Amino acid sequence: MHNSSAFIQIRRLTRRYLEGEQPRRIFTDLDLDIERGAFIALLGPSGCGKSTLLNLLSGIDLPDAGLIEINGCSLTEMNEAERTRFRRRHIGFVFQFFNLIPTLTVEENLFLPLELNGLISAEQRDRALELLDHVGLGERRNSFPERLSGGEQQRLAIARALVHGPLLLLADEPTGNLDAATGTRILELLLKLHRQAGTTIIMVTHSQEVAGRADRILTLDAGRIQELAR
Amino acid sequence: MTPLFWRALARHPLRHPWQLGLAILGIALVVVAVDLANASARRSFALAMERIAGQATHRIVGGVSGVAEAQYVQMRVEQALRPSAPVVTGYLPNADRPGQLLQILGIDPLAEAPFRHPAADLSGADFDIRALLINPAAALLPEALGEAVTVQHGEQRFTLHRAGTLRGPELDGLIITDISTAQTLLGMAGRLSHIDLILPDGAAGERQAEELRTKLPPGLRLERPDQRNQALADLSASFSLNLTAMSLLALIVGMFLIYNAMTFSIVQRRSLLGLLRALGVSRRELLIGVLGEALLLGLAGTLLGGVLGLWLGSALVHLVTRTINDLYYVLSVREFFIEPIALAKGAALGVLATLTAAWLPAREAADVPPGAALSRAHLESGWRASLPRFLLGGLILLAAGGLTLIFSLSLAGGFVGLFLLMIGCALLTPPIVVGLVGLNQRLTARCGLLARMANRDVARHLSRTGIAVAALMVAFSATVGVGVMVDSFRGGVAIWINDLLNADLYIAPAAIENGNHRTETLTPAALTALRNTPGIAAVSTYRAISVDLDGRPVVLIAVDLAPASQAGYRLIEGDAEAAWRAFQSGEAILISEPLAYRRGLSVGDELELPTDQGVRRFTIAGVFLDYGSEHGRILLHRAGYERYWHNPTVGSAAAFAAPGENLALLRERVQEQLGPMQSLLIRSSRAIQQRTLEIFDRTFTITQVLRVLAILVAVIGVLSALLALQLERAREFATLRAMGMTAREIGSLVLLQTGFMGAAAGLLAIPTGLLLASVLIFVINRRAFGWSLPLTVEPGLLLETLALAIGAALLAGLYPIWRMARTRPAEALRVE
Amino acid sequence: MSLHRRFFLTGLLVLGFSVALTMLLFRATPKPPESIAVGAALGGAEQAGYQRAYQPRPFHFPADHGPHPEFRNEWWYVTGNLADASGRPFGYQLTLFRIALSPDPPAADSAWRTHQVYMGHFALTDVAGEQHHGFERFSRSALGLAGAQAAPFRVWLEDWQLSGSATDALPMRVRARQGGIAVDLTLQAGKPLVLQGDRGLSQKSAEPGNASYYYSYTRLPTQGVVELNGRIFTVRGSSWLDREWSTSALGPEQSGWDWFALQLDDGRDLMFYRLRHRDGGMDAFSKGVLVDAHGQARGLRREDVELQPLGEWISRRTGDRYPAGWRLRLPGESLDLTITPKVADQEMRLTVHYWEGAVTVTGRAGENKIQGQGYLEMTRYPSAAGR
Repeated sequence: MHNSSAFIQIRRLTRRYLEGEQPRRIFTDLDLDIERGAFIALLGPSGCGKSTLLNLLSGIDLPDAGLIEINGCSLTEMNEAERTRFRRRHIGFVFQFFNLIPTLTVEENLFLPLELNGLISAEQRDRALELLDHVGLGERRNSFPERLSGGEQQRLAIARALVHGPLLLLADEPTGNLDAATGTRILELLLKLHRQAGTTIIMVTHSQEVAGRADRILTLDAGRIQELAR
Repeated sequence: MTPLFWRALARHPLRHPWQLGLAILGIALVVVAVDLANASARRSFALAMERIAGQATHRIVGGVSGVAEAQYVQMRVEQALRPSAPVVTGYLPNADRPGQLLQILGIDPLAEAPFRHPAADLSGADFDIRALLINPAAALLPEALGEAVTVQHGEQRFTLHRAGTLRGPELDGLIITDISTAQTLLGMAGRLSHIDLILPDGAAGERQAEELRTKLPPGLRLERPDQRNQALADLSASFSLNLTAMSLLALIVGMFLIYNAMTFSIVQRRSLLGLLRALGVSRRELLIGVLGEALLLGLAGTLLGGVLGLWLGSALVHLVTRTINDLYYVLSVREFFIEPIALAKGAALGVLATLTAAWLPAREAADVPPGAALSRAHLESGWRASLPRFLLGGLILLAAGGLTLIFSLSLAGGFVGLFLLMIGCALLTPPIVVGLVGLNQRLTARCGLLARMANRDVARHLSRTGIAVAALMVAFSATVGVGVMVDSFRGGVAIWINDLLNADLYIAPAAIENGNHRTETLTPAALTALRNTPGIAAVSTYRAISVDLDGRPVVLIAVDLAPASQAGYRLIEGDAEAAWRAFQSGEAILISEPLAYRRGLSVGDELELPTDQGVRRFTIAGVFLDYGSEHGRILLHRAGYERYWHNPTVGSAAAFAAPGENLALLRERVQEQLGPMQSLLIRSSRAIQQRTLEIFDRTFTITQVLRVLAILVAVIGVLSALLALQLERAREFATLRAMGMTAREIGSLVLLQTGFMGAAAGLLAIPTGLLLASVLIFVINRRAFGWSLPLTVEPGLLLETLALAIGAALLAGLYPIWRMARTRPAEALRVE
Repeated sequence: MSLHRRFFLTGLLVLGFSVALTMLLFRATPKPPESIAVGAALGGAEQAGYQRAYQPRPFHFPADHGPHPEFRNEWWYVTGNLADASGRPFGYQLTLFRIALSPDPPAADSAWRTHQVYMGHFALTDVAGEQHHGFERFSRSALGLAGAQAAPFRVWLEDWQLSGSATDALPMRVRARQGGIAVDLTLQAGKPLVLQGDRGLSQKSAEPGNASYYYSYTRLPTQGVVELNGRIFTVRGSSWLDREWSTSALGPEQSGWDWFALQLDDGRDLMFYRLRHRDGGMDAFSKGVLVDAHGQARGLRREDVELQPLGEWISRRTGDRYPAGWRLRLPGESLDLTITPKVADQEMRLTVHYWEGAVTVTGRAGENKIQGQGYLEMTRYPSAAGR
């Protein structure tokens, strides 16, 4: 099962939090391989550590033990600045609550990752705006996020997460805060972009229906990961 | 309103009490402290006066050197005028405790009965009236001074031993001696300070007073002590007013900060407020709720501020009395009196300022529509929409302030105009900040994303940043204004005194030096010896005496000026040559600018002066620039002084060295020649200039202290505002972190932003401060003191202000950065 | 007036000086001096360094009319009975006391500095109006505020003064005014000067030196004006001058005194002072003098005199109790006199309380009726409350 050339390799990953005096184990000795270009759905009850796993994968959080390697780069051996640079360049994030920057316009929110990466050529801007058209917000580029509906905000967030061409897109319940129809449309968008760009996607969700659209479905429960056969 | 509603509302400020509390605390602190210090000084003064005046209804006072004691004997023996009592009083430094002046009150215990009764318990075993009368070293000493005290008069020291105890803290600076002892201590042989009288009330007393007046020899006057005290108390009124103005400035700064803090707490709770409205809380209830909350915090801050104000006030009172001692009269009491009125005033101002400043935010809270809270962006766009109103309002206030300054004549009008201008400038600040952001946008277009984000954020968060920048601007402009004023004043004084003191040596008797009061005179022999000392080319003589103009003491200086000394006086009105020519006759006088301003006098007018020969009219030949006394000074040629005053004396002399003389040697020679005749103080003009500037600097210490306080209040307030602003953005920062922004980059973002705000405030504070300084110099000082000052701007001060403003703002950014570095973005992201 | 009273008054003065001045200076509630322990206060009065009266001395006039500053205390004591043309009677007292605060003059640092202080008591009794007005003044002997000199004779405390000619104290002008109460009188020589005691040495107790030099003019025909609240009365009458200087104090057993200065209409004058013991008895040093119409004086010893208080008068103001009159008998002279105050309340309520006032004398000299008038001083009677 372990593939030493997998795109993402997780080995013996251990993470625990202190709850008061008592350490609470989120997971212990977790092993997981994910192939490049896969669309993974991650299921599990609340509090099982799904978001923690995403945070560990993005380098926002650090494991207590174990190893994470993405595209041959060992995240767990990097220092904070290196992890941040890695995240900036290679990872896109979509949050349940959109987390757009309220004081930046639609367009500015979109350009933010480009600018963070110093990718400010006209060509890239054009590509970004194309992407904006693609998510249906071409007309709203000068609006502020608060003026957008929830679905629009999430579409902007997805565009923002992909605009700099990340290797890995981490989505934390992207449809969790949306009505069913909007949620479906967001999922469709994600799938479409996934197919076009071949970006590896790991999506945390509670919805079996959403999970059904993924290439692989993993469940995380009581610190153990299991693959649901399809 | 239900308790739950209150609880819901109250939890927020209770969790962030420092935002509002600090601002209110600052207000109460400054207001209470300044008021108490002022009140204490006044109280000290009243006590000192009462101590001297006692039960006297009238007193006979003389000119420069008081009243001849023979006058008293004549009145007492031949006119049988009684109750009457001779008084010799003055101040001497305590040799054991540098800086402490002790009031010597010399009385005749045998004539004293009806007059004064110090709250002294003299039945104690140590009371020895026989010693008091016959022993030159015996005195009634306050408990605080121990068994003996050594006082200093010039180079002489006298040790006084206890012959009785004065009890009561209000007597701490007082020494009662027999009149003979006081004459010796104060060098007033043959003279009395005044003669106290008790005349009956009513018409009989008036008749007796009238009769007495006609009998008094020229040069002596009958006056009521209370009138004189009032006149003396008025002396320092403008000083007190200035202090009060400073504290009002702090009040304005504080109000901005309260407004800022309140607005901020409302903004943070918009969703809660919306929710409450949805749950059925009425608009009115919400308004009252928010105001009530402000009131409670205001009370708490005021209470705490009051307590701290007491402490600060007790520290300030020393500075206030010292300044008053330097400038006006001597207060030996330095007690700190807690005046309930001052406390109440501080409390009322604190609460009132809080409510006033909270009114608009409370209205805003009440206007929150029920249900979902309006978004921040909505609020911000509302703010941007009202920018034109700010602009208009600011311009209207500026115009109103300008008109007030032009058309009012009073000092109070000057202050009103000043404050209108200040508020106008503050209102203009948000539009100007937006303008600056726009300008900056172009400048930062080529800079990194961070710079642009930081810049734009300022404009985007205008509802918070605008007020913060305005408050910071007001605070720093106040410091610029006051600083420039003090610099200008100091510059003016330095030039003036440099011109004026252009002789090489100044010779004065080694007498008590306190303020303008010099009782000893230069003996004729010493003066002759000075003139005859080889190497002395020219000598000017001076004699300062106090004359009464409508019950107010004004200094008259009788001078015999060498041509070079004459050149030191700058005539600002009148043809100099003609003026000096007329002056030589002794029938014309020169008056100082403050006197001319206060009394509306100009060249050619006449002034009536009480002389020893009765009242005489003198023509005003010119007006000279003078910062020597805000109450004005009069220059009279010695010829006139000798003509109209008895026993003319010389108080001090200035000597010019012959060309090529070695000054140090000359000084030694003068000391050798004159030293055996009289104990003298021989100083270079430089030494006197230094001393003058030292006193000047001491005078403005309190101003500086208040200035620092205003800055402190502002910095604390702005710190808290910026802090809150940044802390509120924790989630935004976490998102940025998730997107790959490093902690360092976000730190830079925060610092760039607060730094930009600090810079904006600092930059805006400079023109506003200069405006303020101009008003202080050309309107307030002119109206309060009557003198004109050259506007002197030290670039250092402006740079310092800018640096301070940016520094304070950067400081405000450090804590959020530190906190952010300590929280994991993962947690910040989780929080909704 | 009698030496004792002067003597006593001075004693009181010295002892009570601090108390008096404290009250003066600080307006404490006036307290009768009785509240001060007499012995302690007396003992505190320093005698060292002053001259004392050990033996008779030759008197030289007019020099001895002037001050004797080397002694601690000295006084010029004038009393008299007057009447206007209609017979309206008045009594007056003007006493100027000199008190030295130290034996030697202090440093002359200021013209105000002196060790000589003057106290003045001035009283006018308006018999018809049953009023008695008493006043007190203090001043230092400096700058001409107060002082004494022999030639020309002048003793003054501000505008209260006694003045004589360039060569003699007599005729003497007595002037004093306080508000609307004033006297301006001229005293002529009536009888020659009388040296009291042993050639002018008046022993007060067994202790050597506890004595005074004492002389009197017992009868001084007087004329002048008296002013009473603006009304001026031209008056005539007879005055008495006592002069005494000493550095003495009361003996420890002596508690007070009664002093009589009586002018009888047969031309005789009688002075007697009774020094009282604490137990009420008469001290052995009580003494007096009887001067005949020609001025011949004869000393009176304690044994020569029988004194008996008559009734009691209680001051409503101070609570002090005084005899309301006296019976004085000189058995050797067949004199039996009853002495009655002209006004009951002639109490001097000053820093020291005492009773001093004009008295009427009636009685018998042998078989003949005799009348007279005079002055009586009674001191140190404890207050009613104190009993």
